[in-house]
Amino acid sequence: MPQQFEFPKTQIPSLKLNPKTVYGVLGVLAGLWILSGIYTVAADEEAVVLRFGKLTLPIVGPGLSYHWPGPIERVYIRSVTNVYREEIGFRTTSPGRSAQRPHESLMLTGDENIIDVQMVVQYRVDDLVKALFNVKTLGVFQESTEGLVHDASEAALRQVVGRHGIDETLTEGKETVQAEIKDKLQELLNRYDAGLIIDEVKLQRVRPPAQVEAAFKDVASAKEDRERLENEAHGYQNDLIPKARGGAKKMLRGADAYKIERITRARGDADRFRAVYKEYQKAPDVTETRIYVETMEKILPGMQKYIIKSDATGGGGLINLLNLNQPQRPQATGTDQE
Amino acid sequence: MRSAAGVLIGLFVILFGANLVSFTVTEVQQVVVTQFGEKIRVITEPGLYFKYPDPIQKTTYFDKWLLEYDAEPEQVFTRDKKMLVLDNYARWRIIDPYLFMQSLQTVDRALKRLRDIVKSELLKELGRHELSEVVALNRESIMELVTARCDSTARTFGIEILDVRVKRADLPPENEAAVFERMRAEREREAKGYRSEGEERALEIRADTDLEAAQIKAAAYEESQRIRGEGDAEALRIYAAAYTGAEEFYEFSRTLEAYEQALDENTVLVQPMDTDFFKYLQGK
Repeated sequence: MPQQFEFPKTQIPSLKLNPKTVYGVLGVLAGLWILSGIYTVAADEEAVVLRFGKLTLPIVGPGLSYHWPGPIERVYIRSVTNVYREEIGFRTTSPGRSAQRPHESLMLTGDENIIDVQMVVQYRVDDLVKALFNVKTLGVFQESTEGLVHDASEAALRQVVGRHGIDETLTEGKETVQAEIKDKLQELLNRYDAGLIIDEVKLQRVRPPAQVEAAFKDVASAKEDRERLENEAHGYQNDLIPKARGGAKKMLRGADAYKIERITRARGDADRFRAVYKEYQKAPDVTETRIYVETMEKILPGMQKYIIKSDATGGGGLINLLNLNQPQRPQATGTDQE
Repeated sequence: MRSAAGVLIGLFVILFGANLVSFTVTEVQQVVVTQFGEKIRVITEPGLYFKYPDPIQKTTYFDKWLLEYDAEPEQVFTRDKKMLVLDNYARWRIIDPYLFMQSLQTVDRALKRLRDIVKSELLKELGRHELSEVVALNRESIMELVTARCDSTARTFGIEILDVRVKRADLPPENEAAVFERMRAEREREAKGYRSEGEERALEIRADTDLEAAQIKAAAYEESQRIRGEGDAEALRIYAAAYTGAEEFYEFSRTLEAYEQALDENTVLVQPMDTDFFKYLQGK
């Protein structure tokens, strides 16, 4: 140690320092050193001051502040409103573009199927002191995608997906799964006392792995086919039943018409008969003869007639001679004249 | 001039000397102070501390905050002889810096030791469970158990293991292919089921429709026949009422009417002359 004191001793006299200059320079340096302790905290930030490595409370809020400079005190200024983002199963490489991470996104479900899930976790600093000093590889302030939050997110995601069946996670259970992951992740971060709070856990893409996606899509189209077949059958039903009902109505109306016609005609016939009979009764014989003769007059001209002597009817000899199967008008006329 | 140099020298000496005998411990550090290799004190509280200069008293710094242990993926067998690729991590911290310094010295060596501890505990515990338990229900309780066992072993090195956690538990690639095949088969079966269900429903609806249509038609026929019957019966009654008491005249007039309808040009009439109509042909 004495040697170290020797070294400046031999140097200084040759410099010929003016005391005023020395004090002036020292004063300026000291002033600058003192002034270097001024710092500002923005509206969304908080500052933590360590004096000789030890935390001094309270935490400094937004505004202009001062701390002892240099080795005495150090200040850490961090945003506490900024929302940080952790990506599982993919990485955003540039806005709108992302790289897949299949080893992160493919995982086993509770029913031992494999599902492809991408997740985004959004979180904030809740307790700046804890976030700064409790966990070395937190990931938040290191601008690193690997770290505690990423590890815990992956663990929580897989654990929760492992508790649910693939269909549940793919469809109606998605919200539940999301909520469970959020709770689990928060629980883990609390266990590590990381001073972080999870704002949101969002399952970005949940789908069957590419290798089996076609089969899953076919299930969806099979469901549609089922609907389609059923709808077609309903179409057939909607076509046929009204027609049958129409036909039935037509048949019933027809029957009604028949009934009315039948009865009305019968009444008409009856009235006519009664009217005729009433007149007939006034002179039965004459009327009967008249009707008979008139009728004969009407019907006989159209017929083939064979009028024979009364005694010939007994033997029937003449009838045997007639060709009754092929009656012909000329023959008939001929016999008529006989 | 002398005093100016003196001030400079004085400042230099103070700063150098202070640096030699003082040290700071931050919030994330802890320090073991040794004197010729012998432990003097262990400092876990942050702040400014003093000691004898270096060759006499030495400080060794250790992390106080939570540290990471991220293992390479391991292949493990479950009780049902299935292989899982397990990627796990642990979070740990040094709780007894002096013990840690004696047994492991550095974080690098600690990580190697942690790897041995965690791996053996995981293999042991997972060998007792079936794959489905590891993946699904039991993961939490398995991990609690493994964490507790690792922790109690690690404490002999001055380490606390806060959490051992499985990040990923996946099937090896060759088994994945089998799972995909099974998934595909399951979905195909499901799709077939839906289509057959559709056919079934469609056939049922069509058959129901045919039945309903037949019922509607038959019921209509039944009703219409009844109505027609009523018409016929009523007509019969009206006729009967009209003709009762005039049977002979009815027979006479109706028969003649019927002649008009029934007899046409194809009718051959063979009549003896002594009928009423022809009797005058014989002469008076």
